[in-house]
Amino acid sequence: MKAFVEGAAVSLETAAAVAARLLEQARLPVIAGLATDVAGARAAIALAEKLRGAYDHVHSEILLRDLDVMRQAGRMLTTPNDARLRADCVLFVGPKLRDSWPDLPKRLDLAAPPRLSETKAARKVFWLGPSRGEAAEVGAAEIAATPGALPHALAGLRAAVLQRKTRMNGTLGQKFTDLAAQLRAAHFGVVVWSAESLDRLAIEMIQGLVVDLNQKTRFSTLPVELGMNASGVVQTSGWMTGFPMRTGFGRGYPEHDTWRFDANRMIDADEADAALWISAYGAESPQWKRQIPFVALARPQTRFHYPPRVKIDVGCPGKDHDGIEYARDIGTFTLIQAKSPSDAPRVSEIIGLIDQNLTKGSEGC
Amino acid sequence: MLIRLAGGRVIDPESGRDGVGDIWIRGDRIVAPAQGETPDAVYDVSGKIVMAGAIDIHSHVASGNVNTARLLLPENHRGHTPRPAATPLSTAGWSTFETGCRYAAMGFTTVIEPAVPPHYALHSHLELADIPILDKGNLTVLGEDDFLLSLLRDGKSRTAVADYAGATLAASKGLGIKAINPGGSVAFQNNVRTFDLDDVVPTYGVTSRQIFQALQQAVVDLGIPHPLHLHINNLGVPGNVETALKTIAAAGNKPIHLAHLQFYSYGKEGKRGFSSAAAQLAEAVNSAPKSLTVDVGQVMFRQTVTVSLDVIRQFSAVPMAKPRKSVIFDGETNGAGVVPYLYKSDNFYNAVQWACGLELFLLINDPTRVFFTTDHPNGAPYTTYPDLFALIMSRDARARWLADLPKEAVEMTTLPSISREYSFSEIATMTRVAPAKLLGLKDRGHLSPGALADVAVYHDDPDRAQMFRFAHLVFKDGDLVVRDGRVTHYRYGRALTVQPSYDAGVDRRLSTYYDDLYGLSRDMFKVPAGAIARDYAFEEVACGR
Repeated sequence: MKAFVEGAAVSLETAAAVAARLLEQARLPVIAGLATDVAGARAAIALAEKLRGAYDHVHSEILLRDLDVMRQAGRMLTTPNDARLRADCVLFVGPKLRDSWPDLPKRLDLAAPPRLSETKAARKVFWLGPSRGEAAEVGAAEIAATPGALPHALAGLRAAVLQRKTRMNGTLGQKFTDLAAQLRAAHFGVVVWSAESLDRLAIEMIQGLVVDLNQKTRFSTLPVELGMNASGVVQTSGWMTGFPMRTGFGRGYPEHDTWRFDANRMIDADEADAALWISAYGAESPQWKRQIPFVALARPQTRFHYPPRVKIDVGCPGKDHDGIEYARDIGTFTLIQAKSPSDAPRVSEIIGLIDQNLTKGSEGC
Repeated sequence: MLIRLAGGRVIDPESGRDGVGDIWIRGDRIVAPAQGETPDAVYDVSGKIVMAGAIDIHSHVASGNVNTARLLLPENHRGHTPRPAATPLSTAGWSTFETGCRYAAMGFTTVIEPAVPPHYALHSHLELADIPILDKGNLTVLGEDDFLLSLLRDGKSRTAVADYAGATLAASKGLGIKAINPGGSVAFQNNVRTFDLDDVVPTYGVTSRQIFQALQQAVVDLGIPHPLHLHINNLGVPGNVETALKTIAAAGNKPIHLAHLQFYSYGKEGKRGFSSAAAQLAEAVNSAPKSLTVDVGQVMFRQTVTVSLDVIRQFSAVPMAKPRKSVIFDGETNGAGVVPYLYKSDNFYNAVQWACGLELFLLINDPTRVFFTTDHPNGAPYTTYPDLFALIMSRDARARWLADLPKEAVEMTTLPSISREYSFSEIATMTRVAPAKLLGLKDRGHLSPGALADVAVYHDDPDRAQMFRFAHLVFKDGDLVVRDGRVTHYRYGRALTVQPSYDAGVDRRLSTYYDDLYGLSRDMFKVPAGAIARDYAFEEVACGR
């Protein structure tokens, strides 16, 4: 168990007390990173309210890309297990889906026919706009498209599904016509995509494509989750405040604003004057530019571009300690057991200690 | 700690009590008057109404789909009243914390989340654990799962079905079993767009009727106190009273609870082909066996969002979404849809729906068999309960509302002719005594010595809506948590569960089944006892035939 103030080793209690002082004396503290299990996220969001601060997540840009499309246009959604068991047609969209989830093809059991489908034939698998070699590795028929061309390509495919005229002629036009016919013939099809590699327009176009396909057959979408409980933090934030991350409590009630409560922007624009950085899974470090004092609850190997005022090494959920997190295998929460239990403290414990050291504040939750 | 609530009008239909007197609380229980002892606290509640804490048997307060609705509709809770938070996150509109606070402020002390697919039980329990003050429970949804449908297709025994239901209930830590348009989600995945009682689930060859009857029997065989909680086919469809009547007949003499009956009380009369058949349906309920209970699912006029696992129904409602955005989910063999909706008093159909609900409340004679719900948030948010209490307690209040509705809608109902007004005793029966009995909660819903000290004290305000909106005092487990409609501090209740006994051999079969089908351990989907980091997170409700 290691804790440091200004780089010098101290007791956990001392570190927590210094952290509490720093955060409660700030004009506007922000909690950032927020890569932690459900218990850690709960504790952090409750602390943000008590401090009348704000909270953000290291992957907000990606998470909000997906959420923004949903709350503007709605969506159709399924789970990896439903794709595995029922999808007779799978369309991957965009590059590098396996970078964030190497086991994805195995989880979807692409090589086998869908076990719970009426059709017992082999699955039809397509990939629109993969990176080099990606489609062949999973046995998918490739339709090339650069990332920048994807919204346009999806629009063309959508038009072909609705059998509308497009300006895509020749080989490409024929490819879309053929693919559209395959999609329309699916029994239960699934489009697999990731907000990591698509922009809002492409995501919205996928949703529109699926809505159109559902006029005649069944289709849904499977967004590839980021892992490291990122979706779990969105969910926890949802039931605790009604909103996802990038929410602030300055007025005594939660306000959600994706621009205003962007932690990097708040710090660099001289609005936030202290931060609590939480990163219990990987070695991510803060990306803000202005050197405000901050507290880091992070993995021991983390390298910071300027030193934190207080640094406390925390354990990794599922490795050092048990933790509840969002498991992308099942698309919901599960209890992950520690693989190599250690006495490295949990984020929720440290925040509990910081909380005890606050001079103001109300009861906990 | 000994507490005396002195001189209130105590309304406790379970013991037949309705008169001025005292209630004594020691620790977390109601006790007999402690003669010769000086109480630690005395509350003068003369002129006030004293009842047990209210119990809501059907309110979608905590699940993945509810959370999807929150994330879909940030505009619905943006402008929450700024005020200092007396307790953490109580100013966060639509949060679990606000849910606990607002329910408690109305004198409710127990609430049941009625739609939790087995694979999403942990999510729901995590949310329930963040609802302060209240005790709560989940109903586990069965009827769409391949394991069960295969048992039925293969003609396996009643015992096999009960063992499976028992094992799944135990793994998901549910309080009872719910079926939702049974087989409908599987049918929808197979591109079926309407699904009736005797329609066959594709690939399994079993009907919706067979599924619900098998589950109805399993609940009886397992000795689960709460009967099968059934969401009937054809929700919201004109003329669907026929489906409801067929289902009532199909339920026979075995216990059954029919959810949000208002949504099935529609005829096809009139030039728009939409009318109230609530009077006919109420009569069918009145003459059905006493083991049949219903809740209403009242519609109130305002913006809300419909959240339902009846994915066929929700998909068909997408074009009516307001605002125009919806989420349709095919998930873990179940389905779901989140579709925002605006009920308007000047809308013919909405006005008929509103009247249908009130007709059911007022024409079903026995307040132990009709339950007070809006199917939150589907008919209306639970925050409209106070207005609904006022409506069923006052013919004048109804007349005022009716005057504002389209005349052609009012003509499609019998509501103007109904003079019945609920008494306090009937309100206490419907919201306290009957729900406790329906869920098997022997120490709740009443104020006899030995009961849990969940007590609500109300001002006897002639404005009944105001009276029920802000209770004067609310005790949870003997702890005073609400004063004049405001929560003073948090405490956390338990999730109520049942642990029916079943042949554990099914657990081994299920483990093999999950390994083979999903390539994942079944343990991933369970709710482990230690998952909720609170002392006394779960309370077991006894099973027994």
